[in-house]
Amino acid sequence: MSSDFYNTSILPFAGIIIKLCRAYTSSQQDFEDYYQEVCLQIWRSKDNFREESQWSTWVYRISLNVCLTLLKKKKNNVQHFVSDSITAEETENNYAFSDESLNLLYDAIRKLSEIDRAVIMLYLEEKSQKEIAEIIGTNPNNIGVRVKRIKTRLKKLLDGKIN
Amino acid sequence: MEKSIENIWKEGFLKSDALVAPKINNLYNQKSIHIIDKFKRMFKINLMAIVAFSFAFLVVSFIIGIPITGIIFFVTLSVLVVINKRLLNDLEKIDIGISSYQYLKAFNQWINKQVSINKRFSRFLYPIIFMSLVLGFWFKDAEGMPLGERLVGEILVGFPDTYLIFGIPLIGIVIVAVILVLLFLVGGRIYKWDLNIVYGRLFKKLEELMTDIESLRS
Repeated sequence: MSSDFYNTSILPFAGIIIKLCRAYTSSQQDFEDYYQEVCLQIWRSKDNFREESQWSTWVYRISLNVCLTLLKKKKNNVQHFVSDSITAEETENNYAFSDESLNLLYDAIRKLSEIDRAVIMLYLEEKSQKEIAEIIGTNPNNIGVRVKRIKTRLKKLLDGKIN
Repeated sequence: MEKSIENIWKEGFLKSDALVAPKINNLYNQKSIHIIDKFKRMFKINLMAIVAFSFAFLVVSFIIGIPITGIIFFVTLSVLVVINKRLLNDLEKIDIGISSYQYLKAFNQWINKQVSINKRFSRFLYPIIFMSLVLGFWFKDAEGMPLGERLVGEILVGFPDTYLIFGIPLIGIVIVAVILVLLFLVGGRIYKWDLNIVYGRLFKKLEELMTDIESLRS
């Protein structure tokens, strides 16, 4: 990949990629692997971009598809879903951002299912229900209900942790 | 909790350190860990290994005097390679820039198609391999005559009333037929069992993702 392509076509959208990759990883090492993988896939698929959507939407799609299908062999992969205990990796990632509330929010987001993570991330990025449905490939009518349900779950998970 | 989730998100990312991209070094040469790339790589390696093995075995089979086995092996494995090479071409066509549902569905469909074709093929592959070994050793030269005929001759000396069909003991035909039927019946299962050991976790994850997205679509 040329540094020109990275600087002009990926770096301006690095924020999108970082936000998504953080939600699907629980350690700095994994995050960096996922980030690199997304960049690699964007570069590999760049010729398939047909300008039917915005470049940023396309970057979202690739980032999400890569995150959903990246497989890392990890021990205790399901631990996040069955236990609230803080693992070493979670602790490491809790300090990924200097803002403590954001770290706690991410921690809660990581406890959601993979699709719910995608839905809430896109919602927080102020994507419309139609755009969220287009990116994920679902029915826009159900997005609103799902967002409400996810927000309720997140509020419960964050209850008492953030002032 | 006082702050809304939306505010935590917005305020958190206003801080300058929140979105620092990791350093990327030598990305062109990075080994991809993406599952489709992993599949492609493994598929290519597997296919090359099968081609190499079938060639090597063909040569060895002529050297050790069982060319029929070598030729049948070579032809059967070549068909397997051609089929899977076509499947690999389909995998190359999956566009990662489509929606997650379409992307996962396309990938899932490809996996299902690949499993279904190879499962069916395995039903014939194992019996063919077994039969090629039987034929190879049957026609192997044993001091001027085929090993099979020599063996039948020795059986007839010990058991003169052995019932023969086209010069082959009936009991032998029955045993080979039973093994062929068993291999036909379990061939698909052996393949599925082997596949689940390697990709079971991936299949489960894909299934869960598809179920979740489909519940959103309904």
